[in-house]
Amino acid sequence: MHPACCARAAYRALLVALAASAGAAWAATVQVDVRDGAGKPVEGAVVFLESAEAQRAARPLPGIEMAQEHKRFVPGVLAVTTGTEVHFPNHDAVRHHVYSFSPAKKFELKLYSGTPANPVRFDTPGVVVLGCNIHDQMVAWILVVDTPYFAHSGPAGRVQLDGVPAGAYRLRTWHPGLPVGAAALAQPLSVGPAPASAAVVLTGLTP
Amino acid sequence: MNWRGLRHSLVTRLVGMSLLLLLAVQLAGFAVVRASIERNVRAQIARELDTDERVWRRLLEQKAEQLRQGSALLAADYGFRSAVSSDDMQTIESALENHGARIGAAVTALLDTGLTVRVVSSPSGSMLQLPETLAQVVPALAAQPEGSQVAVVNGLPHQFVMVPLRAPLVIGWVLMGFPVGQPMAQEMRQLLALDVAVRVGDGRGGHSVPVSTLPPAALARLRAAPNGVQEIATAGGTLLVRSSALSVLGTPSEALLLRSVDELVAPYRQLQWLLAVITAAGVLLFALGSSAVARRVTTPLRALLAATRRLSMGNYAVAMEHTERSDEVGDLARSFDHMRVDIARQQNEIRDLAYRDRLTGVPNRERFRAAVMDALRADPVPGHCLAVLVLDLDRFKHVNDVLGYAFGDRLLQAVAGRLQPMMSTPGDMLARHGGNEFALLLHVADAQAALRVADRIARSFETPIRFDDQTVDLSASMGIALWPDHAVDADMLINRAEIAMYGAKRRLTAALLYDPALDSSSAQTLSLLGDLRRAVEQGELRLYLQPKVGLQPAEGVAAEALLRWQHPQRGLVPPMEFIPFAEQTGFVRQLTRWVFEQVTILLARPEVRAIGLRVSVNLSTRDLLDPELNLRLGAILARYQVPAAQICLEITESAIMDDPQRAEAMLNRLAQQGFKLSIDDFGTGYSSLAYLRRLPVHELKIDKSFVMGMQSAEGDAMIVRSTIDLAHNLGLTVVAEGVETAEVLAYLRELSCDEAQGYYISRPVPVPEFLAWQARQPTGGIAP
Repeated sequence: MHPACCARAAYRALLVALAASAGAAWAATVQVDVRDGAGKPVEGAVVFLESAEAQRAARPLPGIEMAQEHKRFVPGVLAVTTGTEVHFPNHDAVRHHVYSFSPAKKFELKLYSGTPANPVRFDTPGVVVLGCNIHDQMVAWILVVDTPYFAHSGPAGRVQLDGVPAGAYRLRTWHPGLPVGAAALAQPLSVGPAPASAAVVLTGLTP
Repeated sequence: MNWRGLRHSLVTRLVGMSLLLLLAVQLAGFAVVRASIERNVRAQIARELDTDERVWRRLLEQKAEQLRQGSALLAADYGFRSAVSSDDMQTIESALENHGARIGAAVTALLDTGLTVRVVSSPSGSMLQLPETLAQVVPALAAQPEGSQVAVVNGLPHQFVMVPLRAPLVIGWVLMGFPVGQPMAQEMRQLLALDVAVRVGDGRGGHSVPVSTLPPAALARLRAAPNGVQEIATAGGTLLVRSSALSVLGTPSEALLLRSVDELVAPYRQLQWLLAVITAAGVLLFALGSSAVARRVTTPLRALLAATRRLSMGNYAVAMEHTERSDEVGDLARSFDHMRVDIARQQNEIRDLAYRDRLTGVPNRERFRAAVMDALRADPVPGHCLAVLVLDLDRFKHVNDVLGYAFGDRLLQAVAGRLQPMMSTPGDMLARHGGNEFALLLHVADAQAALRVADRIARSFETPIRFDDQTVDLSASMGIALWPDHAVDADMLINRAEIAMYGAKRRLTAALLYDPALDSSSAQTLSLLGDLRRAVEQGELRLYLQPKVGLQPAEGVAAEALLRWQHPQRGLVPPMEFIPFAEQTGFVRQLTRWVFEQVTILLARPEVRAIGLRVSVNLSTRDLLDPELNLRLGAILARYQVPAAQICLEITESAIMDDPQRAEAMLNRLAQQGFKLSIDDFGTGYSSLAYLRRLPVHELKIDKSFVMGMQSAEGDAMIVRSTIDLAHNLGLTVVAEGVETAEVLAYLRELSCDEAQGYYISRPVPVPEFLAWQARQPTGGIAP
């Protein structure tokens, strides 16, 4: 995953958290440790917290891009909140034909170069698998979540969510290695004023 | 071994053996080549089948690849993916159908990510429900998406491939199946010119062959063949089978690749035929060549064989053949030829030793006999005949005794030297016949010519032979026999010449021509001998007496006993016709005994005793040589009581000279017995008076030839007178024979001859007439 993207996403998450904390009395930090069945840390997993409050607090994110560089999608995994419009700038000399047959969002951007005029808006939460009809090896995932509290696991498999209001959440974890069409792992997580931590074990990952 | 045998043994054996060896080698080579070809062909076919199998595998892979590409094409189709994503079943189905038809797939199917069949499209509709066997194929294909699998569906192997359907992640699988069927087999056949069959097991040990490029008959054979068969024999030849497994899972199936051995062997077969033809031609040529060579060996061998046969028959004249050759046969021939020459030379030496008389250097008796035989065998010249002259030296034994054997040998050599020039015609031969006998083979015109030769010889002998101080008078008796007049073969010819010679000796003539009368062995003489025997037995013989009268006053009466033969048919046979013959055969001894006995009987008669008759009896040579003569005569005298003194025994001079020593001994014994002895025919022989004086003789009889010649020839009268004087000086009485006239008788009386005998006095007469004549005579006197 692109470090710059991660930093930027974290930064946005922080902004969201700050915005949410304005309406809430308390905010806490949640730390999640993601490991696979063998106990090894899993990098690149998306961890997000769902609840009714969180759904209400969720806002579309601005200026989100799924670029194509060197016949690859960048970033490979993108998590966005519901209603976010994503731009698909093509930095390659060749044309791409981006498509998705995922139920969460079906679309196709027929052969183009440069940045299409209209971004694609993702309204439905879920996993959208992106492909290029011309380059079979190009694949990317856009995870549409209905919450502002989400983050990617780092190399140590750690995820830190800041400014999470206290409350009862469903801690969900998704990873592109999960079987196609499989739902994100869900487990309950109660967040109090104090920082919370959770451990997630992802089994059935394909490397 | 005969010719045929030789040819059989050598030529046939040489040629046959060589041919057999050649054939054996050729056959062995043929077999090796054949086996080698078979092995090589099989190895080659095995290699080809290796290649075929690789090609077949490659073809299957190509098909799989084709299928995979078709499948991938479908899987990559955006519309298809879109339809799959949107679960648009109708579109999916038509897309499967469309793509399957595009590459000729028997079945096209879409499987979900759990490998469950979602949609199946089959143009023939036969595989709308994929059988259970496919359930085994699919996981294997999913595990190895780049591979392919073969499974039997509806009794026919199908090749299956499966490619993932990505959107872009795998959302399903596209499966395609393709029959391994007749088109593929035909394609293989077109590519590699081999037969392909597909065999599918039915799970119960049996099998079916749904696909084949084989002709029906071969296919039937293949169907009948068991699993794992390596080769099958068909009407078109042997097919080698290579099995290549198709399906690993489910019902077993295999592709069979078949190649014909015979197709590959065919060109070699032609080569083999060519080889066989070359072999046959080679064997033929070899047979001709080796038999020619063998003949080159055996032909001289045959010639050598013939030559050795000639040698063994004593023919050394023909030179050996093949001596010019430079090989071993030539060596052998030359060696044989040397042997021939050496043997011939040695043979000649031996023959010379065997056929030559060492003493005189002339041929010996054997050689002479052979020469006569050869001469008889040779074609006689018309008008000519062959004569054999046998010559026997008279008194040779005496010469030997008196002058020694060395002198005798020299004498014989000298005689040979004198006889040598008598041969005038080529083919004439002089030989020493043994002892003092020589023989001449003469080619003469007739008997007269032969007698002329004898005459020449006799004349040549007139010159005495002188050695050192000794001079010897030569005399010889010669007998001549002529061919074909006297003989039919050589032995007879020689024999009869000898008989003639003995005849000449007896008659004291120089030469005599053969006459059957001389010959005791001739048919005539044999019958004469028989007649004589009969004459003795049947009393045909007559005793005649010829009176002898005393010319001087003397006592008694004397007569000579003579023999006459009263033949029943021939009448009175003259003595000359049977006496010589009897002498020759020895029968004369019987005659002598008969005469002697008759004379004794006569003398025993009283009236004869009264007149005091003395009778002379002739003894022949044979009698004289009989050692018991005196005993026999004595026995007869004793039987009739007659004194020996009344009998005078007359012996011819020549009879004594045949064997003087024995004659002398016998005469002495006879004289002791009291016989008077008389020398008959005195003057014709060669006895010397000195010798005669030693003999106990009482009387000499002068030969009638002298007596009869007394009147005409002065010489004869002289001889008679001298003889009478000589005899008287020696104390012998003298008797003259052949007195035919009164003048002779008177002359003899004048010469003091003691007794006379002859026709003038009386012819020989039978005993009664003699007695009558005697009675007429005045006592002590003589009738005129």
